[in-house]
Amino acid sequence: MHRRLFACALIFLSLAGYRGDRGAGTAGTGGTLIIAAPGDADVLLPPVATTQLAAHVIQRIFPRLAELKLGLNTLDDSGFTPVLARRWEHRDAKTIVFHLDPRARWQDGVPITSADVVYTFGVYRDSLTASPYRVNLDPIASVTAPDAGTVVFTFRTSYPEQLYDATYQLLMLPKHLLGGIRDDSLASSAFARHPVGAGPFHFGHWEAGTEISVEADTTWFLGRPHLDRIVWRVMPDVAASVSALLAGDADAIEFVPQRDQIERAARDTMLRLVPYPSPFIGGLIFNLRRPLFADRAMRRAIGMAVDRETIVRSVFGPWGETPIGFATRMQWIASGTVRQLRYDTAEASRLLDSLGWRRGAGGMRQRAGQPLEFTVVTPTTSRIRQEVATLIQNQLAQAGISLKIQPLEVSVFDQRTAAGDFEAMMFSRTLDPSPGNMVQFWASSSVGGENFGAYRSPAFDSLLAAATRSRGRTASLPKWHAVLERLNLDAPALFLYTPRNNAAIHRRFENVTIRPDSWLATVATWSVAPDRRLPRDR
Amino acid sequence: MARFALRRVLAAILTVGLVVSITFLLAHLAPGQPMLADAERMHADPARIARIRAEFGLDRPLAVQYTMYVGNALRGNLGESFTMRRSVGEILRERLPHTALLAGAALLLAFAAGIAIAAIQATRAGSWTDAGVGAVTLTFHSTPSFWLGLILMVAFGQWLGWLPVGGMTTPVEHEQMGMMGRMVDVGRHLILPALTLALVLTAEIARYQRGALVDALGSEFVRAARAKGLAERAVLLRHALRAALAPVVVLAGMSVPALLAGAVLVETVFGWPGMGRLTRDAIVTRDYNLILGAAIISGALVAIGNLAADLGAHALDPRTR
Amino acid sequence: MFGLALVTTIVLIAILAPLIAPHDPLAMPDPVLLRTAPPSRQFLFGTDAFSRDVFSRLLFGARVSLVVGIASAALAVLIGGAVGIAAGLGGPMVDTVLMRGVDVALALPRVFILLAALALWEGAPLSALIALIALTGWFGASRLVRAHVRQLAEEPWAAATLALGGGKRRLARHLLPHVAATIIVSATLDIGNIILLEAGLSFLGLGIGPPTPTWGNMILEGRDLIFAAPWVAVAPGLALTITVIAFNLLGDGLRDALNPRGTAGRWNRLTGSV
Repeated sequence: MHRRLFACALIFLSLAGYRGDRGAGTAGTGGTLIIAAPGDADVLLPPVATTQLAAHVIQRIFPRLAELKLGLNTLDDSGFTPVLARRWEHRDAKTIVFHLDPRARWQDGVPITSADVVYTFGVYRDSLTASPYRVNLDPIASVTAPDAGTVVFTFRTSYPEQLYDATYQLLMLPKHLLGGIRDDSLASSAFARHPVGAGPFHFGHWEAGTEISVEADTTWFLGRPHLDRIVWRVMPDVAASVSALLAGDADAIEFVPQRDQIERAARDTMLRLVPYPSPFIGGLIFNLRRPLFADRAMRRAIGMAVDRETIVRSVFGPWGETPIGFATRMQWIASGTVRQLRYDTAEASRLLDSLGWRRGAGGMRQRAGQPLEFTVVTPTTSRIRQEVATLIQNQLAQAGISLKIQPLEVSVFDQRTAAGDFEAMMFSRTLDPSPGNMVQFWASSSVGGENFGAYRSPAFDSLLAAATRSRGRTASLPKWHAVLERLNLDAPALFLYTPRNNAAIHRRFENVTIRPDSWLATVATWSVAPDRRLPRDR
Repeated sequence: MARFALRRVLAAILTVGLVVSITFLLAHLAPGQPMLADAERMHADPARIARIRAEFGLDRPLAVQYTMYVGNALRGNLGESFTMRRSVGEILRERLPHTALLAGAALLLAFAAGIAIAAIQATRAGSWTDAGVGAVTLTFHSTPSFWLGLILMVAFGQWLGWLPVGGMTTPVEHEQMGMMGRMVDVGRHLILPALTLALVLTAEIARYQRGALVDALGSEFVRAARAKGLAERAVLLRHALRAALAPVVVLAGMSVPALLAGAVLVETVFGWPGMGRLTRDAIVTRDYNLILGAAIISGALVAIGNLAADLGAHALDPRTR
Repeated sequence: MFGLALVTTIVLIAILAPLIAPHDPLAMPDPVLLRTAPPSRQFLFGTDAFSRDVFSRLLFGARVSLVVGIASAALAVLIGGAVGIAAGLGGPMVDTVLMRGVDVALALPRVFILLAALALWEGAPLSALIALIALTGWFGASRLVRAHVRQLAEEPWAAATLALGGGKRRLARHLLPHVAATIIVSATLDIGNIILLEAGLSFLGLGIGPPTPTWGNMILEGRDLIFAAPWVAVAPGLALTITVIAFNLLGDGLRDALNPRGTAGRWNRLTGSV
């Protein structure tokens, strides 16, 4: 048993770039990582947290049963390393049994038991919680606890990504602290602003709109993190955050989104650019509740009038590419070719003519005296999305379509898009390593959730279900491609760009590895050599 | 004097009330159902939404809501900010000193520079130096402050690397510094925004003081002083400047609106965590309680500035002395 | 008169922008290869992030600045003039009510109210922006005009007009040419401030939005490019400074030439609550 545990730990540490010479002693520990974050956290409670920063903070504080390794192999068990569960076994095709690590403790000293896991699953699944991740847990029929150290996950069907769904989607919550609170009050509870978890870091402080910090848990059962603390400073302005990096006021940024800023960072000798496959994808979502976009031909015509290649080259230069569909380089399904709408202005023009939208005075199209125009909303915080929208505006104008851009402050943007109160929106998504979470964004069952444009297609839903069930890479790849293809050709959205990510990190940080879906996944093993420490590292 | 002062104080209070009323009306005439939407956006639970509803009378007619808001405000309850999830009063108490520091520093710089420029000009009235200095001040007077700030930031923060480019403190390290270190740290962050804010005011002050100095230098008592054989330098320092310094209170009081407006832009450019940036953020995020809180503060500051200017002018006016 | 010459030149440039501009200010000739191209013979002030010609955008941006500046100042001074004349010639009751009102209004934080109004109604059109600026900016002018009117009303010819049974309406018509000087100087001195105000609002993303080029939103767009392509933000900033200097010089010159009584201070930036 111990030998196996040791072996697992060894694999984990070596994969994470661990170097034995630094040891677990105090000589190798210390350091403050200051991260420039583009936006604040919403709430620090895993089932309801949706912002990027909140995700990074809660993943440091709340542990999973097991963690994905750097390879992001979501299909079989070798892709995972133990955390709260020291081991697990597949009892049958629909059941996984987890054995919890008896050393695991909540940060207030209370041991973690199977009751916490059962409670956590209940919170994620309770409709009162209104968790956007709820749909991702649909395949799990039940979670039970035969004893304090054992948890049994039962799945509705037999499919390859069972372990992934059981571990990746659930960050464990302490039942003894939250159990007395109704699920619909959790998000507004004091805990959600001042969380207590069981991860390698514990909560430090949160000054809304300004700063969040976490501190190393020096007694963490899998070994303390090398760094002492991580501080996220909210800096909505990209140029300002790169300036802060160059001035030494910040140490790292998840990804430098603008080409001019990447070039600035690349010239600096104290910064290192670390490229990694991007989990981000961006584009334009049509609101299918609007009559104009309920028509598939209209959406396709607009899609064919947009020159994605020019947009990507202009906005990202060499640091971006046009995606093959709703997938990014990080995902294994993004290999090979998938049928997409062609950039074909002549065909777009023919389609629009056939729909009755004819060019009038000034070359702009109209039908029965109505001009062909729509408004796209975009958050003011994202310069990328505003730039892309401006380029689309110019391209559509040449096709006789008038596009208005309405920049909205990000909280207003979130509110309006979630409520379906828009014609078209510029979106940007961080995808999970598994294509399975496409259900969260495009399935009919997610209308009212994160399927903002209200795309409903039974054909797509059944293709998606079939792809999820299929086993083995070679067998399932064509099925996933069929899913992507259906989405491309139905065009509920235009998938315009996926950046080639570059994290910028100060050179004094060593052992830096990046797991593309969650760039700080291995931060517990990042370190600063004692001789390169700054005053703030001590 | 006392009656005059009382009337001005009442007028000041009336102004604050008016600002709040206008803002309240604006917020409620604008599309959307402001306060309630805020409560829902706060991830609030039903019990809490009900409490906010009752506390601010959100399902009652507008007039009732208004009276309830004013009643709450008078009792010091400004409600809660949904973006910051803290009480508005607490946020204002934290931010106001930051802007006071920035505006105070800017005012000090502007007066020092403005009076010095005026003295140079007044003693050489009509000369090329006078015209040249005048042209420079006019240029600064005509420069957009946010653009000037941007240029200063690039020049001193980036190219020369002498000063920090934004914020008010050095992260983390600030906490580890001693009292002196912290003051120096804030001071370094203060230089560029204060300079930007000051440059815009300097021109006004210099123009005004130049006029006052030229008048003073031509006045009876200065001529008498010269006749007594005082050196020109002493005349300037001892007599003329003293006469011209008198309206400083008036000028400072009247600068408040310009300082507040400037602070919105300058704090946005430099990321200074003060009232200006707070006001802008509150407005664009439609954080209604925070907008109303900011309205109270900026209304009160402008009213106090005007009050100081009025009382100062009243005290200086020879007819009322 | 340098100020007049400068203002005339700028106004002419704005009017003739479509003829002078070498490029369409909205055209994106090549967003890939000509993005943020440095100044050259083809693009005098370089191009922006969308390969649009900064020089042409500058010329068209002048139109927004001038239209907003001149129209708002004119409207403000009309309202202020009307109120001032009414207060000056009306009875003591009218005078007290109007001037107390103006006292209070002068004490309002103008920028705060503008920000709130513009942000809460998303995407206000140009006319609304002009109206808002004018409605929050006429108070100072009304004070000046009232003072001037009261002064004039005490002169013998004014008293004579009234004595001859001319009535106040007739007197007002006689006063108008005299007060006009005050009005014109006050308006001219205000234009510069309004141009800065509009640019500031655009910079905060609350004025006239893209794609219409305004100097304020050009600076906003150039802000992130300040290191890679400084010309995008520097050019509109310089244009703003020069234009505002021009109007201030013109205002000063007009005041000296027309010498209207009652136009006490030049430092309208403070009293005007900009």
